[in-house]
Amino acid sequence: MATYILRLQPEPAQESDVLLLKAIAARDEAALALLYDHYGRILFGLLMRILNNREEAEDVLQEVFLQVWRKAGDFDESRGRPFTWLVTLARSRAIDRLRTLASRERVAEAGAREVSEVISDAATDALKSEQRGLVSDALAKLPDEQKRPIMLAYFDGLTQSEIATRLGAPLGTVKTRMRTGMIRLRELLAGQGESFGF
Amino acid sequence: MVHDDYKEMIPARALSALDAAEAHALNEHLENCAECRKELDEWQATAAALALGTNRSDPSPKVRERILDEVRKDLSESNVVPFRSTPRNLWSSFGSLGAMAAAVLFTALIVGIVVLWRQNNAMRTQMEQSREFVQLVTSPGARVAELKSSAVGAGAIATVAYDSSGHAMLVASKLPSLPQGKAYQLWFIVGNKPPMPGKTFAPDNNGQGVLKEEMPREALNSPVFAVTVEPSAGVPAPTGPIYLSSSAVN
Repeated sequence: MATYILRLQPEPAQESDVLLLKAIAARDEAALALLYDHYGRILFGLLMRILNNREEAEDVLQEVFLQVWRKAGDFDESRGRPFTWLVTLARSRAIDRLRTLASRERVAEAGAREVSEVISDAATDALKSEQRGLVSDALAKLPDEQKRPIMLAYFDGLTQSEIATRLGAPLGTVKTRMRTGMIRLRELLAGQGESFGF
Repeated sequence: MVHDDYKEMIPARALSALDAAEAHALNEHLENCAECRKELDEWQATAAALALGTNRSDPSPKVRERILDEVRKDLSESNVVPFRSTPRNLWSSFGSLGAMAAAVLFTALIVGIVVLWRQNNAMRTQMEQSREFVQLVTSPGARVAELKSSAVGAGAIATVAYDSSGHAMLVASKLPSLPQGKAYQLWFIVGNKPPMPGKTFAPDNNGQGVLKEEMPREALNSPVFAVTVEPSAGVPAPTGPIYLSSSAVN
């Protein structure tokens, strides 16, 4: 649907989000508050999924929005949508935090258990969020051998070598499966291009 | 490694899954390869979509408060200009060479200030428009419509925000440039009635256009917005092709 009420529909990134970032770059506090109201929940959901710890996730969420406050002028709309920029910032900070946590193994194991739960929750909840449904549908269409390396990298912050060790698979095989899975995922999501802006 | 080897690594880079040595090598390649940078941007969009598959969750309201507290602190600190006393006779210790250097620096400073002043004026206008747009979309009862490009619109996009009293603002980008004597004109369409004319506007050199408008009262009821190309003075009924249009706003 091409029209919407901005406050009520945080996704996907729109021209108005670009304007919000420009206003933030001009040090407009209200614009930052609006961007937070717009994207805070979805980014916090992502951070919770990665860090599996409410306190850590809230701390990183704060860092992310303060970084947006300081760096909004760096956003380049010719390189992608504001949503992609925000998720990339948030995930990067979360992975850094994850990699410094002493309890990484525990968190990763808890996260790995949660992968299937999140997907199945999302799949059954597709009516509540069209986009979440589309993403989980796309993931459900990937063979498990391609999906697992992607999920372990994205949500648990593991490198390809670490994934190979975790799965007991040759490194070359992990690389091939990850790449093939990403290409397939992009094709599946591109079929929903209007929703994801591809 | 050759270009294609690096290209193959990009999806894993978008997942932050490369091992340190490979990540370092790819980062060096990216500095000199625009094609791979573009490819990375696209893969990052795919990776970002995965975030939409997670369960949304509410952070504590205190997080929002803490962020805005920090921002206010930052704003108040940046408004304080520290006072520093200037040493007297600074250049006298450097003699005539120092005076010449001062003259050169002074000239460079003046030129720099003129350039910055021009850039600053353009930026200030853009920022002021951004603020106005944010104020409009955050006002009670505000509505926003996305306008999409037709075939002739060549990928142009626009957003119209308006409030219940009809104050409206259109922000467009990627607009094709127009020949002399032509301008873009905004239209309001309600049901099967004839389109109501809005103002005309011209894009800047970057293909961006901004228009502030007062919508007719009768246009507030589920309007469709459209943009056509018309003579610069505007016309009472559309004559040119539609470049942008929205769905009806409910």
